[in-house]
Amino acid sequence: MITAVRKPMEEIIACVAPYDRILLVGCNECVSVCSVGGRKEVALLASALQMHFLKQGKTMDIKEITLERQCDPEYVEELVNLTDGADAILSMACGCGVQTIAGRYREKPVFPAVNTTFMGASERQGVWSERCQGCGDCVLGITGGICPIARCSKRLMNGPCGGSSNGKCEIDPNIDCAWQLIWDRLKALGLERRIEDIMEAKDWRTSRDGGPRKIVREDLAS
Amino acid sequence: MSLKKKLSAAEFVVLAEMNTPKGVDISELVTNARRLKGRVDGVLIPDMDNGVMRMSALGGGALMRREGLETVVHVYGRDKNRMALQGDILAANVLGIQHLLVAPAEPMANGDHRDAAVVDDLDESGILKMIRSLSEGVDLAGFELRGLPEFTVGCAMAPVADDAALAREVENLGQKVAAGAQYIVTPPVFDLEAYGKMLESLKEFDVPVIATVFLLKNVGMARYMSIHEPGSCISEDMIRRIRKAPDREAECIRMAGEAAAELKKMVQGVKITTLGWEHRLPDILSSAGL
Repeated sequence: MITAVRKPMEEIIACVAPYDRILLVGCNECVSVCSVGGRKEVALLASALQMHFLKQGKTMDIKEITLERQCDPEYVEELVNLTDGADAILSMACGCGVQTIAGRYREKPVFPAVNTTFMGASERQGVWSERCQGCGDCVLGITGGICPIARCSKRLMNGPCGGSSNGKCEIDPNIDCAWQLIWDRLKALGLERRIEDIMEAKDWRTSRDGGPRKIVREDLAS
Repeated sequence: MSLKKKLSAAEFVVLAEMNTPKGVDISELVTNARRLKGRVDGVLIPDMDNGVMRMSALGGGALMRREGLETVVHVYGRDKNRMALQGDILAANVLGIQHLLVAPAEPMANGDHRDAAVVDDLDESGILKMIRSLSEGVDLAGFELRGLPEFTVGCAMAPVADDAALAREVENLGQKVAAGAQYIVTPPVFDLEAYGKMLESLKEFDVPVIATVFLLKNVGMARYMSIHEPGSCISEDMIRRIRKAPDREAECIRMAGEAAAELKKMVQGVKITTLGWEHRLPDILSSAGL
């Protein structure tokens, strides 16, 4: 899923301060799962903003709504009757949601209330870790299901480096060495000989290096 | 008089663009450079021109210094992060390179290493600010330098196809000048009248403008650029002139020379680009009376 963290309150306040009527929009997908931009967080942020502005002697009109998916134009259409009553829109979705709203409601300023962080997985309650960088050419099938691009600090395709110590990365002892994990996993699968195969220089065109990406499914596109 | 002094004294300057080899055979580069000695104010070395991997501009610039030529080298952010950029800029200074041109890079997708990763840590304004910071003795991490590098630093103007694009580009140039650009290199000029009008938009910056004289080598190239680069303003008359010439190559040289001579009346300098025909640079200079 796409993970995010809420922006500092001061930054959010600075964005909305010039306005009197705010439409605060949450998203029921990834940001809801990682407890940063769902219905509950929308309500908490709305209260916090209202309290802040009340202390300043200003009544801020904040309308709350949480869409099923902010990155989907179909759901974003639900805002059509609400935007007229707002001076600005504050989105608690990932960057995809913010941009979908900005693209649809061009006459309204749209501000992000969260910082979109990474594509990750839940490790345990309240802990998410980066797992994928969307390189567009998945190597998990040959690296034992552990991504060296997302999980090795140096993005090494043929690791480990000399900084791996006791299975941990030299940049942070709390970070597992991805190549230690790959080795352990391949060994457990009886595939450790694979580590001797040198991976060729990666073709980064399928990643962000080839420019902004787009998927067109001819069988689905209208 | 040095290039720096000429630029600040509002004297006309001539720069010749010379590409480094794809490989380590520098004989052609050195031979062509020697033929320019005393005829140009500086040699401009692009870095990985058109996205093609070749010997670095830093290496080429150092080589030109060894030949006694003043050198301007391209700096851009596609292939290097701020660490590598700063290290190379310090090295450039030590190797006697005193002039930098912060330029946009060709997209990786248009080069010859299309599968390479793109860095783009700093954009052009970011690089200009970084160079200014180094010149003031502090790197981008805030650490003090031992010995300060000195440069004249220019920026490149992107080609513009219409008034809206020009307005946006003027905005960009304003940022670059504010970030430390001391001169502006403009795109190839094929329509002097249109260029003269465009120059009006650059007056507000009050920095020297160096125009690019681009050698059209044949009808095909002229036709291609007229179609695919809408801002190039290559007219049908120009294409016809090349096509009807008894000696087309000589005509192309003459046209570049004429453009350089005319531009001398309009701007503070020219940069002559020949894309592989550096051996014809002396002929263009002669044709222009330079």
